[in-house]
Amino acid sequence: MKKSPILAVRGLRASVAEAGVEILKGVELEIGAGEIHAIMGPNGSGKSTLAKVIAGHPGYEADGGHVRLRGENLLDLEPDERAQAGVFMAFQYPVEIPGVSIANFLRSALQARLEDGEELDLFDFQDLLTGCMGLLGMDPSFAQRAVNDGLSGGEKKQSEILQMAVLKPALAVLDETDSGLDIDALKVVAAGVNALREENPEMSVLLITHYQRILDHVQPDAVHVMVNGRIVESGGPEVALELEAQGYEEYRRTHAA
Amino acid sequence: MSGGIAVGGGAGVAEVGEVAAVGRGGDPAWLRARRDEAWELYEATPFPSTRSEEWRYTDVERLLPLGDLEKRPIGSKWSGELPERLRRVLASDGEGAGRVVEMDGRVVSARLDPGVATAGVVLSSLADAACSSDPVVRELLATQAVTASDGKFPALNAALWSDGVFVHVPRGVKVELPIRLSRWVSRPHTPTFTRVLIVAEERSRIAFEDEILSPDFESATLASTAIEIFARRGARVRYVSLQRMGRRGCHLASQRTIAERDSSVDTLNIALGGSVDRVDLNARLVGQGASSEMLGLYFGEDGQHFDFNTSQDHVAPHAHSDLLYKGALDGRARGIFRGIIRVHEGAQRTDAYQTNRNLLLSDHAVATSLPNLEIEADDVRCSHGATVGQLDSEALFYLMSRGLERGQAERLVVRGFLGEVLSRLGRSVVADKVMRTIEAKLVR
Ligand SMILES: Nc1ncnc2c1ncn2[C@@H]1O[C@H](COP(=O)(O)OP(=O)(O)OP(=O)(O)O)[C@@H](O)[C@H]1O
Ligand SMILES: [Mg+2]
Repeated sequence: MKKSPILAVRGLRASVAEAGVEILKGVELEIGAGEIHAIMGPNGSGKSTLAKVIAGHPGYEADGGHVRLRGENLLDLEPDERAQAGVFMAFQYPVEIPGVSIANFLRSALQARLEDGEELDLFDFQDLLTGCMGLLGMDPSFAQRAVNDGLSGGEKKQSEILQMAVLKPALAVLDETDSGLDIDALKVVAAGVNALREENPEMSVLLITHYQRILDHVQPDAVHVMVNGRIVESGGPEVALELEAQGYEEYRRTHAA
Repeated sequence: MSGGIAVGGGAGVAEVGEVAAVGRGGDPAWLRARRDEAWELYEATPFPSTRSEEWRYTDVERLLPLGDLEKRPIGSKWSGELPERLRRVLASDGEGAGRVVEMDGRVVSARLDPGVATAGVVLSSLADAACSSDPVVRELLATQAVTASDGKFPALNAALWSDGVFVHVPRGVKVELPIRLSRWVSRPHTPTFTRVLIVAEERSRIAFEDEILSPDFESATLASTAIEIFARRGARVRYVSLQRMGRRGCHLASQRTIAERDSSVDTLNIALGGSVDRVDLNARLVGQGASSEMLGLYFGEDGQHFDFNTSQDHVAPHAHSDLLYKGALDGRARGIFRGIIRVHEGAQRTDAYQTNRNLLLSDHAVATSLPNLEIEADDVRCSHGATVGQLDSEALFYLMSRGLERGQAERLVVRGFLGEVLSRLGRSVVADKVMRTIEAKLVR
């Protein structure tokens, strides 16, 4: 029996806010609770745009359709409200925030979820952070580093996963978190995602990737192909394997702009 | 007369004496002569105008109506309770090697840790030290560092200073904890003129934290300070100025540091309060191997006006100076940074850097940054840079996507931006105090 969807994207059209160039041209996507979906697709097809529109990036405007999280229309919410509602996006290009430590930032993020007047217990926080870092095989000193500032490409991706682990979202959108990771780091990140899902089997994951290899470790329930702002094919894990063998040429021909 | 200033309005030398003679038993003859000379220079020096490069962005006549400042003889020493705010600050400052409290331009207490005093360190009211003709004060007070010929305000200060602090650290004595000066300015409209003279003898070490506080005022109230710092061979001096005056407080500071061979003089200027703050800082590296780290931090809001005018004078070869001034400006605040690195002839192997970064938090805030280089030696490493930027919208989105409200996200970015300067200080009372003040400004 199909579970009721955590995320329902219907007829989503979106464009770059200033330029008015349409990038998403009617995206349909449904993810059930606890499911892992992968999106693949050629460069520039709109995968990151979809992720950012789900997370509420102000640089994009939704021109039509809707995005619902557990029935609630996300498009009406500010980015922080979406996060409170359970959305997490691991950025393809994490942003550097000089002078702000990862620990400090995560503490603020958790504090922000509490009611006014409620204080985050610092010992609980420390335990949570230490636990998550242990899970991801990270050195405890890592949390004292500035958010993405001075981190290597791979470290930035690991930091995104650490944040996901601490924030425990209902829906995690991972935008090419596997790119730039070495083989060991990729395994650690995949193990982290799996461990989190064990802890919270209801957590759903939307995994944007170019490579089959992460899907060897994080088994998807569905694989979608995005071309030119639309999802043009959806299927099981075999879709990714076919893409690995054949590339996007076939799709590109049939779904040209 | 342009910029007619009441303090100067026809005041003769006798009146100068009246304002200033507050030390023990009145000024000695040498000091009286020095004040007279300064007064003459003051009168002969034209009022700073926005036509001059150095004062172009700070229209003193408009921002600081000196014409109607009151000139009153310095009254009797503060007696009775210290104001609540000052008491809180004193209580929270924690342990130091010494503590001076200055009320309305006069030192009311100067206490030095007995162990430090035994080592021969002198901490005293400057007026007392001058009136007892301390030879070091006599030699160095307003003669080599901040002198009357430096400009209109240094001249005025040299003529009218009422008190301040004298610190003398003997050879080889290392004072680990800072000496703190807490100043309180309370009389509206009445200018105060004070000075600090720090002399660190060979291989000695000292840190001095200078905080100025006041209530809000109804009208512009001037606090003029002159800071003179001498680091002899191999000495290490750290000086921190923390300005947290109330509304309409106007702080005009003239600072000069003189670093001899292998010594270091590090400064940090923090401007958070007041309506106008103008700091003229000149770091002179006169001995080989000398070094100066020069930090600055400011956070302006409403119509606050901060103007930093810095210079790094590399007179000797093989010296190092590194300046970093960072500021955030909100509301209609105005920040001006003008800095120059001057590498004098023969100052080979100079290593000198200068960076000014501004973060604008509102569309009405303005930052002006004018870094400059003047190099007369050929084997040097120098760089300067300036940036004026807005809050990065990608950074805000990133933080908000983790659940922080916009305001919180902005605060975090600003904190991180300014934190770079404080992190160079390491953990300290000053850093905590500054962070708390910034925090309070940010939630407004
Ligand atoms: N802010 C923007 N301004 C202008 N064009 C944009 C903007 N954002 C996205 N685009 C364009 O929209 C298209 C989709 O971009 P997007 O980043 O979503 O692609 P992607 O599928 O994630 O690609 P990749 O696999 O390379 O990460 C691209 O052609 C891109 O240039
Ligand atoms: Mg992308």
